[in-house]
Amino acid sequence: MSDWQHIWDARGLLLSGLLATLALVAGSIMTSTILGFVVGFLRYRRIPVVNVVLRVYLEIFRGTPLLVQLLFIYFGAAYLRLDWVTVFIASLVGMTLFNGAYISEIFRGGFEAVPTGQREAATTLGLSRFHITKDVVFPQTLPVVLPPLFSQYLQLIKNTSLASVISYFDIVRQGQAIIDQGANSFDVYLVVAIMFFVISYPLSLLARALEKRIVTRRERVA
Amino acid sequence: MLFLNYWHLFVTGAWVTIWTSTVAFAIGLVLGTLFALARRSRFRVLRLIGTVYVEILRNTPALVQIFIAYFGFASLGFRLPALLAGITALGVNAGAYLAEIIRAGIASVPPGQLEAARTLGLSPVQTFFSVVLPQATRTVFPPVVNQYVETILGSSLLSAISVQELTAEARIVNSITYETLAIFAFAMIFYLILTNLVSFAAAMFSRSFFKPRIATSYKFSIRGSRQLRTGGGRA
Repeated sequence: MSDWQHIWDARGLLLSGLLATLALVAGSIMTSTILGFVVGFLRYRRIPVVNVVLRVYLEIFRGTPLLVQLLFIYFGAAYLRLDWVTVFIASLVGMTLFNGAYISEIFRGGFEAVPTGQREAATTLGLSRFHITKDVVFPQTLPVVLPPLFSQYLQLIKNTSLASVISYFDIVRQGQAIIDQGANSFDVYLVVAIMFFVISYPLSLLARALEKRIVTRRERVA
Repeated sequence: MLFLNYWHLFVTGAWVTIWTSTVAFAIGLVLGTLFALARRSRFRVLRLIGTVYVEILRNTPALVQIFIAYFGFASLGFRLPALLAGITALGVNAGAYLAEIIRAGIASVPPGQLEAARTLGLSPVQTFFSVVLPQATRTVFPPVVNQYVETILGSSLLSAISVQELTAEARIVNSITYETLAIFAFAMIFYLILTNLVSFAAAMFSRSFFKPRIATSYKFSIRGSRQLRTGGGRA
């Protein structure tokens, strides 16, 4: 009884944690999408040396745990005495590099799904390379890319909880602060889990609806 | 390079990572299969239970689930050892993802196959084991292996509840020698080797196990000739 009262009284902490989580989510969605788009496009163009470098990047960030990457970046920056690397910046960089690797594969798949005939037809019509990419290839990749992109964003939201391990004050960390004040940890973590569920579940329904709509539209065209 | 004096900690840590994630994955496979079947069941209650399990576990962070299993249950009076709580939480989490993968795999078997099996007079159990399962295994295999890799990477979260796996050992060595960059890079190499080994072994396995086995050759003889000839060939 008094325990729920305790959590309710500390709602300010949870709310500030929610804001911190949302800030990290919004920031890393933006940066990782940009990074993923650029890397995906470069991989699609298969530029000789760049391609090898990018494959090494993908291999490293998709083959190691995000937690170790965050520890590497955060403690590594401290080791190199980079004082300007705050917890937020370290988390943002880690989330960006990790999710950017996955998102780049989504974009590359999207670019490669556009039939080569489309490029050839556009070339025949005399469009410049820039216009072919911008007006012919990109619009067609969007329906292919959106559903997996959304599910990657869902993963990203849950992954922000790892930033609490390097003491970023997100929902989980603030929950731990409430537990330190003496609240029951089961109740607190339950509230934390519910908060994540409330953010994530509607988005997952949205992603599913989007996917269904795109698939039916594609069937109508075919 | 002082941290190399503690290489045995990395090796024991890597071993803990391997077996904890393997046990968790095994738990996940069992749960995943059960809940995938529950979600395709005729009974509404079972379908509902399956949906609730999958949606809750997939829409909350694994880290929070691990904290609930270890700290949360302890505060309710069920004090589980960190290893047990961690492996169970990881397995239950993997089960939710595997349930979705397996469900999609079963759904991917064309309905014509089921109709054909029924026409041949197979019972539902026979249909499942000799028609649906072999085909579903094939489609489900790559994403299931992927989930195993995810579980290996996810087992790094167990370091947050003081399980002495690879990440935790790296942090311990870091607190001894402070060669941060080299130590975590070293740990990352361990993870890279592990995940690549799993992918490689899976590719090898599927190449030999799932090769196309549709025999299209047939024997025939031309009228008036005794010689048995072979027509067609491997698909």
